[in-house]
Amino acid sequence: MSGKNPHYTRLNLDGAQRRNRVKEMKVISSICPGCSIGCGLYLMVDREEKKIKLLHRKNSAVNEGKLCTFGTHLPAYYGREAQKNAVGGREVEQKEAVKEAKEKLKGMNPDELAFVALPCTITNEEIESFASLASEFECENISFGFESFFRGIPEAASYIIEKGLPFSEVEAASKIILFFIDPFVHYPLLARRILKAKKNGAKVIEVSFARNERGIADETVLVDPRDMEVERIKENREMFEDSLIIGELTPYTNPQFLLLMLWINASTSSKLFLLKPFLNSTGAFLLGGDFYTKRKKDLFEIIEGIERGEIKALYLLETDLAGVSEEITKTISKLGLLIEQNAYRTALSDIATITLRSESFFMKKGTIVNIEGRVLETGGESEKGLRTLESMGKGRSYDEVHEEVKKRLGLGSTKISEFEVAIKREEKSFELAEPKVEMEIERAEEEGYFLWYKTNPFFWSSGGDMGAIKNFVEISPWAMRKLGLFRDDEVEIVQGERKEKRGFKISELPPNLILAESKLSIKPFKGLLTGVEMRRADIKNKKIEKFL
Amino acid sequence: MSRYYLAWAKDEDVREKGANGGFVTATLVSALETGFIDVALVVKKKSVYEGIPILTSNPEEVKECAGSLHGTPINLTKYVVDYAAEKRVGLPAKPCDARGIIEQAKRRQVNLDNIFMIGLNCGGTVHPLRMREMAADFYGLDPDSVVKEEIKEGKIVLISKEDEGKEQENWMKIDELEQKGYGRRDACKLCVTKIPTSADLACGNWGSNDTKKTFVEVLTAKGEAIFKNAMDSGYVEIEEAPGEGIEKRKKVEAGMQKLAESWKEKLDEISKLSRSGRFEFYVDALKNCIHCGACKEVCPVCPCEANAKCLDMNDEKDSYVVSMYNMLRIFHLMDSCIHCGECEDVCPVDIPLTLIQRRFSERMQRRLGYTPGMDVREKPPLYETELRWSAEEE
Repeated sequence: MSGKNPHYTRLNLDGAQRRNRVKEMKVISSICPGCSIGCGLYLMVDREEKKIKLLHRKNSAVNEGKLCTFGTHLPAYYGREAQKNAVGGREVEQKEAVKEAKEKLKGMNPDELAFVALPCTITNEEIESFASLASEFECENISFGFESFFRGIPEAASYIIEKGLPFSEVEAASKIILFFIDPFVHYPLLARRILKAKKNGAKVIEVSFARNERGIADETVLVDPRDMEVERIKENREMFEDSLIIGELTPYTNPQFLLLMLWINASTSSKLFLLKPFLNSTGAFLLGGDFYTKRKKDLFEIIEGIERGEIKALYLLETDLAGVSEEITKTISKLGLLIEQNAYRTALSDIATITLRSESFFMKKGTIVNIEGRVLETGGESEKGLRTLESMGKGRSYDEVHEEVKKRLGLGSTKISEFEVAIKREEKSFELAEPKVEMEIERAEEEGYFLWYKTNPFFWSSGGDMGAIKNFVEISPWAMRKLGLFRDDEVEIVQGERKEKRGFKISELPPNLILAESKLSIKPFKGLLTGVEMRRADIKNKKIEKFL
Repeated sequence: MSRYYLAWAKDEDVREKGANGGFVTATLVSALETGFIDVALVVKKKSVYEGIPILTSNPEEVKECAGSLHGTPINLTKYVVDYAAEKRVGLPAKPCDARGIIEQAKRRQVNLDNIFMIGLNCGGTVHPLRMREMAADFYGLDPDSVVKEEIKEGKIVLISKEDEGKEQENWMKIDELEQKGYGRRDACKLCVTKIPTSADLACGNWGSNDTKKTFVEVLTAKGEAIFKNAMDSGYVEIEEAPGEGIEKRKKVEAGMQKLAESWKEKLDEISKLSRSGRFEFYVDALKNCIHCGACKEVCPVCPCEANAKCLDMNDEKDSYVVSMYNMLRIFHLMDSCIHCGECEDVCPVDIPLTLIQRRFSERMQRRLGYTPGMDVREKPPLYETELRWSAEEE
């Protein structure tokens, strides 16, 4: 029936569309670096590996081809400006940059040296190599971002921090407690597992500052942000019996809050499942090994050490510290030596002494461990980043490092399969004294507001023109009325000298709560809530101004 | 020239490896070898459960892609649009691929004159992970031991490789599997377009008594040209299709369509609800949307990019329980949804989009007397203004 029809033969493509069309395609099986779930996907790249398109990988054991907003916008994440090999800002050959870095590191006193890598886009092999490199320089200041959480907790409880649980356990749970976590925002691919559990008859209870707007919970225990009623949570301990408690652990988590979760877990017949924002957190925990107990400083202590002038040299592996906090750039500039190894340029690249270019994550050869304990192959073929590390350290080949990783993960000679949960966690009982939890909240002035950062993959890993970042805040109807806001107005959030204007959305929130899914210039307090002021920003609409 | 043939690859290897005598593979190989097409868009098998669409001008690579892949539910439309819109491309096309490409041609995103669709009769596809689960739970197999699969005579056949290297055929009736919630994807269970009559050729085993011969229907002048090219260049052999084969094929198609109708009743949980119940159903399902945009991205009918109305008119600052994005997509696809189920496959919060979209578009399409993706000359009713403009300009 079909045939030539003059109406349809001329292509209706504008210039932008034509440019986006990829002429040649190569398909790479990859993993999303947005969070610790590790969703499988394909990337289609052109010959120069510049234009990237996404393809859903339905055979992925982790996510069945489904991706969150971050995942679907991944091509933009990979579209950032590439890192250069440079010494003192002068572009050089990689070999020269590596040689220079090695010489400079050799000249440092081990106590004045620190190694930092947030395990977002680094493979198990790179973690092993990075840790080994730090040992070569006798440096114990090595951080993967979570060290402080291991302090003050019984060793028997450390497995909860180190390992997650397979999602099949979420789907099979009869009672799920969402502990200050909104799965649709924090870890969207977890949400469908909870919805499945609900279909299977599970009861979902949320403990939070605000009711989940999608109504995922059957019951809500609301905690007033003005007065963190931790005692109320403690009193309601029986609620946690026979449940699966799902929470989150990030560099911003208050250690006391972690203690509370562990105490609830220890004193009830529950399981605690802590998700993390960085893809290879589990790999970093398992391969960081006894560094956690031996290490002298954690991430924030290293930053404080730099501030005090105790740490003079820093090796950053694929980590944008300015992304953790904007203030850090100022601190970092005090360093005598900054080596930054990254695939992309960051806010720190311009002040780095030496920059080393590694490959994009999707091009890497290696493995990671996801939050369920699946060992996943990253899918690429490049060993560039690993070779850079090894050329300064032990000089091992990829295969040698990979074998070491397999040995340390206890995988033996088994073939790596995404369909197996190879890293299993064994529930252990441990004792923990009832913590005297004082949920330290930075108090704002009277009638102040509390900012709750709903961290999500964009919060930790945004980059390039990802375009889907929610650049507004959510406020309560009470706040809207109090500030006399109109639809297109903006609010100004103030923390001391820092000010930030944003659009707003009205949500069912407690009066003084502000939710933000994207990073503001407001420094997050190390806990859940940050005290801020909020006011109406300049009125744009003159007609409304007159009316007022 | 007759319209119906039995055809097969001359090359023994292709005949052996390809489905039903390897006619489709041989036709694409011959078209590449003779320069009849520039590239072929084929699905490269990684395993029984996984295939990747590749664009290639290498005939050897096309040969490697021979054989059926029911566990790879990929719609190829967007790959044609994104990668081959300006090339002469040949591809094996399931009915939903062909329908998607026709709809994109109507929206002037591809030039149909350059696209040669070797249509494949299709009883449906299976989600790869469900197929793995089926292999383990119902066939008692190690999923990784399955080396080949087929859907034939109402059965899903999994061929496994035993320890000694011997191949073992294992089968179960589709009906039986589907009663247990496995088998084909919901979109495929409900699909009534089993023969891709909007493609250039329609190929399959329905109507062929010989497992090494493909039943081929020539549907267009382009189909005739690529078929003739394969014959003339000596890549395929043919014989006239017997009359009883044609009848048998019709019967199989009618049987499959009847089965699809029966599934409609079983799966359509929306129609059974009251008006307020339906409203609740939609709100309950759509409120979970996280606005990732994946459903739009994979939709074979949607030609819009970042400047789409559903994105433009949606403001995430709005406090609607069901967003404008969802409302607009439902409305926008009412006349053109081909019900392929790609959107539901990729939805991160498992919204039953196949059911919801069907509920709206099926009734609208019936009322408009329009079946999308079947005839390139038929205007999408809600797209009329744009077409008039186009006609005047021509």
